[in-house]
Amino acid sequence: MVSVPSPTPGAHSATAAEPPSAGQPPLPVKLVIAGGFGVGKTTAVGAISEIRPLTTEAAITEVAAGVDDLTHTPGKTTTTVAMDFGCITIDPTLKLYLFGTPGQDRFGFMWDDVVEGALGGLVIVDTRRLDDCYAAVDYFEHKDVPFAVAVNAFDGEVQHDLDEVRWALDISEHVPLVVFDARETGSVRDALLVVLDVALTRAQSAAVS
Amino acid sequence: MAAGEPVPHEAAGSAGSAGSAGRAGSAWDAPEPAGRASAVRPFLLTAGRVSGSGAAPSLPVESQVVATPTGLSALDSLAFEHHDLVAACRRPQSVAELAAQLRLHLNVVRVLAGDLCTAGHLAVHVPNAKATQDISVLRRVIDGLRAVPDSRGTLRDSS
Repeated sequence: MVSVPSPTPGAHSATAAEPPSAGQPPLPVKLVIAGGFGVGKTTAVGAISEIRPLTTEAAITEVAAGVDDLTHTPGKTTTTVAMDFGCITIDPTLKLYLFGTPGQDRFGFMWDDVVEGALGGLVIVDTRRLDDCYAAVDYFEHKDVPFAVAVNAFDGEVQHDLDEVRWALDISEHVPLVVFDARETGSVRDALLVVLDVALTRAQSAAVS
Repeated sequence: MAAGEPVPHEAAGSAGSAGSAGRAGSAWDAPEPAGRASAVRPFLLTAGRVSGSGAAPSLPVESQVVATPTGLSALDSLAFEHHDLVAACRRPQSVAELAAQLRLHLNVVRVLAGDLCTAGHLAVHVPNAKATQDISVLRRVIDGLRAVPDSRGTLRDSS
């Protein structure tokens, strides 16, 4: 792949650069980051976003506390009940948004809203609670959205090997499965690049046929 | 990109603002008032209308909204959420950013932005759905993402 420098100079270096005129907004594109409760979606968005992630977080309520089991995520006291997002300015004419959406079934009503028009999706998995991400995997498969699955290595540890995870989640061979660290910018970047690679391959084969 | 195509929300007049303590368009990093929930129900702000009803699909969350010169000059005559929305759109913002920044429900922003667009105060740029299959767009995103360093310093406060 050729790396074409952006035609507009100084897109990234200028801090707080105002667009030349308020008139022409960038083309917005988006990736969706899905996954179960406490799996690291917000962390991942925050690790790579160029702005502080905007998030609608509410302290977990008693009702939700019964549903969202906190016992496996000690230290986590709030959950994202809406969605959080960040962005990366690719150049002044193109802006990538990252939307983190709750992965559980009961938030499914939000997915259509966000996933429509997305370049692809990344499903984040906590190997201690694989079942939390089934719904998101199913959803992306049925909607035919290019996606990859990323196992978040909490504290650098992955408790199952990847073949087991693939088997347990019943994801097909052509879906990439990677290990990443949601706290590391480079690691999140690489996981998102895997998703975009799936999207590109698909777009290319669609263009040929 | 063509200048703001009005999104065909049903524009049922501007009876929308039922009044609330709206926050004036603020910077990204304005300290967030912790735990404040609006006392005003979303349907009051939209005069009972919901987004995505009828023929019009709801506005994608990443759609870019920007104030028009007309909107900016009419700013003083706008009240509450209408005022806040136009003021926040001095530079282009996504629908999602507006919702987060103004602490409004996503669908409230959709409806109000539709109204303001019809009134000529805002221009709404709906992303081209074909962009997701556009190989050149994908390549640009990939190249742009590759350029992201392994670790970011402190986050910039504005986009």
